[in-house]
Amino acid sequence: MAELDDRLVRCFASVFPALPPDQIRTASVESLPEWDSLATVTLIAVLEQEFDIQIDLLGSPELTSFEAVQNYVRARVEQN
Amino acid sequence: MAAGKRFTAVNLNLLEALELSRKPAADGAHPLRSFLACGFTPLHLQTFLGAHLREFFPEARIEIKTGLYGDLAGSLERLNASGLDALVAAVEWSDLDSRLGIRSLGGWQVSAFPEIISSARAQLSRLERALIAAAHSLPVVVSLPTLPLPPLFYTPSYLGSVEKAELFSSLANLALTLSRERGIRVLDSQALELAAPLNSRYDIKSEILTGFPYKLPYTSTFARMLASLLSNRAPKKGLITDLDDTVWAGILGEVGVDGINWTLEHHSQVHGLYQQFLSSLASAGVLIGVASKNDPALVQEAFARKDLLLNKESVFPFEVHWKAKSESVQRILKLWNIGPEAVVFVDDSPMEVAEVQAAFPQMECLVFKKDDYQAVWDTLVALRDSFGKASISTEDSLRLESLRNAAPLLDAFGQSGSASDDFLKRADSLISFGSAKLDKDARALELVNKTNQFNLNGVRFTESDWSRMLSDPSSFVVVASYRDKYGPLGKIAVITGKVLEKRLHLNAWVMSCRAFSRRIEHHCLKYLFEKFSADEIVFDFQTTPRNGPLQDFFVELLASPPQPGLTISRTSFFAKLPPLFHNVEEKENG
Repeated sequence: MAELDDRLVRCFASVFPALPPDQIRTASVESLPEWDSLATVTLIAVLEQEFDIQIDLLGSPELTSFEAVQNYVRARVEQN
Repeated sequence: MAAGKRFTAVNLNLLEALELSRKPAADGAHPLRSFLACGFTPLHLQTFLGAHLREFFPEARIEIKTGLYGDLAGSLERLNASGLDALVAAVEWSDLDSRLGIRSLGGWQVSAFPEIISSARAQLSRLERALIAAAHSLPVVVSLPTLPLPPLFYTPSYLGSVEKAELFSSLANLALTLSRERGIRVLDSQALELAAPLNSRYDIKSEILTGFPYKLPYTSTFARMLASLLSNRAPKKGLITDLDDTVWAGILGEVGVDGINWTLEHHSQVHGLYQQFLSSLASAGVLIGVASKNDPALVQEAFARKDLLLNKESVFPFEVHWKAKSESVQRILKLWNIGPEAVVFVDDSPMEVAEVQAAFPQMECLVFKKDDYQAVWDTLVALRDSFGKASISTEDSLRLESLRNAAPLLDAFGQSGSASDDFLKRADSLISFGSAKLDKDARALELVNKTNQFNLNGVRFTESDWSRMLSDPSSFVVVASYRDKYGPLGKIAVITGKVLEKRLHLNAWVMSCRAFSRRIEHHCLKYLFEKFSADEIVFDFQTTPRNGPLQDFFVELLASPPQPGLTISRTSFFAKLPPLFHNVEEKENG
């Protein structure tokens, strides 16, 4: 699980390069002005490739924080 | 490596592309400012293009601007080329008419087809005008529609139709017009198909939901090809080939001159193809040399055969003896006066290839696998990619002849590498000086960017840097051409700089290695002192790993190694100037 989290952190760092590493795990749409719709599209595309999963862009409104993304990806990876 | 694999073998995923494109550039990195023009959301194409440009331009700080969504032609028409170094235009069907895409619902009725075709033609004309206008000040890379057409026409997808043919015909006409423009490079659709088949490209879900139409692996491949076209890398210069079981089938010493073959009836067609290919390379200015363990008299006889597709005039030199291949290669490199990294060695024997590779690790060494037809095909395609160039210059056609003519000169120069006064006096030489600013000479930039040995500082120019310098009224670009009784060398030296009263500042000075040992470099400086009535010349000199010949020239002139900021006064130059015997003419342009 730690390895999955590290990969998630790397994904977030690549999409939000200005975000300090110690703030990645607490990042959310509310706290991060750069997290707009374009960043969401990029983040989802990065996650899909990195974890080899399909994410429904329209059906995933809950992916609005690192923690939410973490829970979602963990669940999807476990399903696979 | 086959052309397609060359582009897919280095595919990045999006995470890697983001990391690479956002990696900070080195301090002092020069910017490479590109404009990515596309009608769709640039999104991941911008990211992958940035990443692959980093790969091709590791020293540059990559900046990519983009235009307005859904208005490719408008973005191109509004383009302000100042402050840009390159334009990349990715055209898709919906840029010709939005009904050829899937994000607008303008109607696919049969009655609409004539209007769709006519509006697509009109849009292609707009694109053509805008791209040609941009190419006057920027290098331009263009890709024409890469995605499948949507199923709007009435025929089954596998059946051609007048409407589809009209669209493809209009595109082919555009590709033809653009390909004729010197500053435009059009992405080859077959090469793209080899690297990424049509059915691997389109992401309809992404297009509908986000406006970005490409699958990610395809985006990486596509972006890499666009970046590769922009990089305009220098082609290799020479190919050294074996003969037995490579240029022809059979061992000459065993089967004799009449026993070697290269045709269908002898089941040795791949050797004929290879001969034809070598002959094609030679006609495009590539140097072809032979390194063969063989009897020289027999080889001479074999090359007298009328049916050989590679004639002996296209080959120089022939290194035919029983010594190690690496010795032959060493001698050929010396005669050609080029480095191993600019040369490819081809031999059917893996052992010989390994021996040459060990001696020249920088050289590309290939095994000619005569029994594996696909491997031969892949080799020919890879060789074409290594030697391919956008256009053929006058110098390409002169290169072989001038090297052949230089061979007696090398003998005359002997070990010292310099010619005697007597020899130079009798050479009946002519140097023509002109300015590249008047005809925006492409050869001048090519020479500056590919010359290593006689190069003031190793600085390379982008096409837009060069254009800017040509249009700067305070700068000069002198080009020197040379000929003597041994033949013409074409344009062999380029000098750029600025005049500040009686002082010249040279920021670039290169001379082709083919022109060494004739005191042309001395005459270049003499010309500059006299042309600009200069009291001194300041050289933007930097030591590079390969500019030893230039350093030697300065050592000879100054009796000490050159340093950055090197300055030579008129008095000291003329005091040390050796006798010059060239005739000189001054032309308006280079």
